[in-house]
Amino acid sequence: MPNDFSQPLNASVLPVMRTGLLAGKPLALQAQALNLFYGDRQILHALNLSVPARHVTALVGPSGCGKSTFLRCCNRLNDEVDGCRMSGNIQLAGSDIHGGELPVPELRRRVGMVFQKPNPFPLTVYDNVAYGLRLAGLRRRRELDERIESVLKVVGLWDEVATRLHEDALLLSSGQQQRLVIARALAVEPEILLMDEPASMLDPISTLRFEELVHQLAQRYTVLVVTHNMQQAARVADYTAFMYQGRVLEFGDTDSVFTNPQRRETEDYITGKFR
Amino acid sequence: MSRMRVFIPEAGVWLSAACVSVCVLAMIGLLGILAVNGLTAFWPKPVESLRIDVGGQQHDLLAQILGQDGDVLILRGSEPTRIGEAYQRVRLAQIVARSIPTDVVEIELNDGRLLFARTDIALLQRTIAAHVSLRLPRDDASHGITLDADEIYRLRSANGDGYWQRFGEFASQLWRFLSTGPTAANPGGGILPALIGTVMLVLLMSVLVMPLGVLAAVYLHEQAASSRRARILRSAVNNLAGVPSIIYGLIGLALFVHQIGGSIDQLFYSERLPTPTFGSGGLLWAALTLALLTLPVVIGTTEEGLARVPQTLRDGSFALGATRAETLWHLLLPLARPALLTGLVLAIARAAGEVAPLMLVGVVKLAPAGVLDTQFPYLHPTREFMHLGYQVYDTALQGADAWRAEPRAYACALVLLLAVVALNLCAILLRNRLRARYRSLSY
Repeated sequence: MPNDFSQPLNASVLPVMRTGLLAGKPLALQAQALNLFYGDRQILHALNLSVPARHVTALVGPSGCGKSTFLRCCNRLNDEVDGCRMSGNIQLAGSDIHGGELPVPELRRRVGMVFQKPNPFPLTVYDNVAYGLRLAGLRRRRELDERIESVLKVVGLWDEVATRLHEDALLLSSGQQQRLVIARALAVEPEILLMDEPASMLDPISTLRFEELVHQLAQRYTVLVVTHNMQQAARVADYTAFMYQGRVLEFGDTDSVFTNPQRRETEDYITGKFR
Repeated sequence: MSRMRVFIPEAGVWLSAACVSVCVLAMIGLLGILAVNGLTAFWPKPVESLRIDVGGQQHDLLAQILGQDGDVLILRGSEPTRIGEAYQRVRLAQIVARSIPTDVVEIELNDGRLLFARTDIALLQRTIAAHVSLRLPRDDASHGITLDADEIYRLRSANGDGYWQRFGEFASQLWRFLSTGPTAANPGGGILPALIGTVMLVLLMSVLVMPLGVLAAVYLHEQAASSRRARILRSAVNNLAGVPSIIYGLIGLALFVHQIGGSIDQLFYSERLPTPTFGSGGLLWAALTLALLTLPVVIGTTEEGLARVPQTLRDGSFALGATRAETLWHLLLPLARPALLTGLVLAIARAAGEVAPLMLVGVVKLAPAGVLDTQFPYLHPTREFMHLGYQVYDTALQGADAWRAEPRAYACALVLLLAVVALNLCAILLRNRLRARYRSLSY
C-alpha cells in the first residue's frame, strides 16, 4: 500500500527516550557527540540532539552556527564535500547511519531533504517527481502516475499542475517549485524530512501555505526544519532547538523555549539582540 | 538572468563594428573567390576559328580562348594525343581573321581530352552509334585524327546553343563534377568519392571522439575534480591542443597503422600477409588520428558543460538517493548535452579541415575502391580513401595542366567548405533543439 499516506511508518521499531523532556516519545533521529571539521575549521562541537518522531522540530540559531551543516550530516551529504571529517554518531531509528548496515542511497531515501532555494531539475514536473522513484526501481507507468498524483495532492500542487505535468518545472512559481521539491522528496517515502530554511525564498502567501503543509506533514513524517524566522518557528514547530557555535545550547518544546528560555544566549537571540 | 551590458564609448562601437565588417567581408571575399574561380570553368566556352599568320605562312585553327595576357591570347586547341598538350600563346597581331562558326563539334573523350571539328554533328552521332572508328576532317590544317567510337565520351555542338542551353550545359557539367569519380584514365574527373571520403571520415571521427572525450571529461571533472593529478592531466590535455597536426599523423602512423594494425593483421589476418589488412593506412586509422587531434576540444567543452550544472542540482539528486554514477547518467550528462554538441561542432570544424595528418595514415589521390559501396558491410574502414582537402593539395600542385587544375582546385575547396558548413549546421541544429529544451538552466 504505497499510496496510503494516512498510516504512520514503522512506529513500533523506533527507540524511545526513557527520561527527560522527551520521556516516552519515540525518536526518529539521535545525534551523539558529533564533531565536524571542514579542513581545519571545526563546525560542530560535540553536538547532541534527539529528534522526536512525527513532530516538527525547529533548529534556530545565528548564521554560521552549523545548523545546515548538521542537517547535511543527517543524510551524509557532507560525504560529497572534499576535506570534511566527522566523529560521533547519528542513529536513524536506532541504527547507526555510518554503521554499514545502511547504504548511503538507502539512508538518503529514508531521510529526505528540501533545500533553501527551490532546486527542481530542469525537467518536466512529472520527471522531477519521478526522479527518485525511478532510481528506486519503479518503472511501470501506471504505478508512477498514481504515486505522482497522490504525492502532488499531499503538497497541494495537484490542482495547479494536473494539466501541466509535462511542462518544464522551472516555469512554475517559486512557491510551486518549493512544493514540487517537497513532493519530490516525499515521493520516495522518507521517514524524516530535513528542511534547510525552506521558506526563505517564498512570498508571504506561499509561506503561509508552506507552513500549513508542514503542519500536515508532521502527522506522518518527522520534520526537522532550519529557520531564521522566529515567528515561523513559533508557528510550525512542536519542539525547538537553539544552536550556538556548533552546539545545541537549548532544546525544549517551542512554547517554553520562546517564552521562558533557560540560557541567556537563547534569550538574546530570540529577542533580537544579536544575529 | 539578463546579460550584463558593458558600456563601450562611441569610438569603440565604431571600431568593433569595423572589425566585424572586416571579418564578414573576408568571409564573403573568400567564398566569392572560390565560387568565381571554381565555377566559371564549368561554363561552356565557345570554340573560335582562327587564321594565324606565322612568318608569312597562314594556317587555320579551332580553339577555345582561355584568357588574354596583354596582347597575347591563350588558346586551347584540339588535344589529339594527350591531355594538356594543345595550349598556345598567340599575339593578337598574328591573327588574321577570327570567327565563331556554328558547325563546330566539341568531342570529349573518356580520358578528358577535347577535340574540335567542323562537321555535321548528326553524321558523327550516326557513326558512333554504328560502333565504327571515325576519321575527323582535317579541321585546322594540322590534324587528321582517327578515333575509335568507344573512346568518345560525348559530342556537343560547341557554338550552336542559346544562353539557357549553355546554362543547362553548365549545370550538367557541375553535376557531373559532383556525382562522378576520377578514373585512372582521367584523374581530373569528378569528386564524389572524395566528398564521400571526407564526410565518412568526419562522421567516423565523431563517433570515436565523443565517448572518449566525454568519459575523459567526466573523469577529470567528477572523479579527479580539483586534485593535483587532475590539474596535471588537464594541462596535458590543453597542451595536446597545441601540437602541430602533422605530429598526430606520425603518431597515427606509428601507433595505429604499424603497431595496432600490424598486430591485428598477425593475429587475425595472418593468412593474407604480407598483404596488409589493418596494417596499412585506411579510413579507420585516419578517423582515430583525427579523434586524437580533436580530443582536447571535446574534453574542454564537456568539462565546461559539467561545471555549469549548479551544485544545488547535484545535491538534490544525491538527496534523493542517487549515487554519483546515477547522478551523472540521469542528470549531469543530459543537462550537459548542449555543451557536448558544442564540442562536437568544434571537433568537426577542426577535423574536416585537416589534411596534413591524413597524408600519413591513408589518404590517396586515387582510391581503387570507395569506402562506401553496396557490398556488405557497406562501409569499409580499412580501405584507403580520398579526401577533398587532399584533392585541393594534389590538384593545385600537379603541374601538367594548370588551366584545368586551377579551377578544379578552387571547386574542390568550395565543395570542401560547403561540406564542412553542412556538417556543422547539422550539429548546430541538433544543439539548438536541445538548448531550447534546457534553455532555463540558469541558476
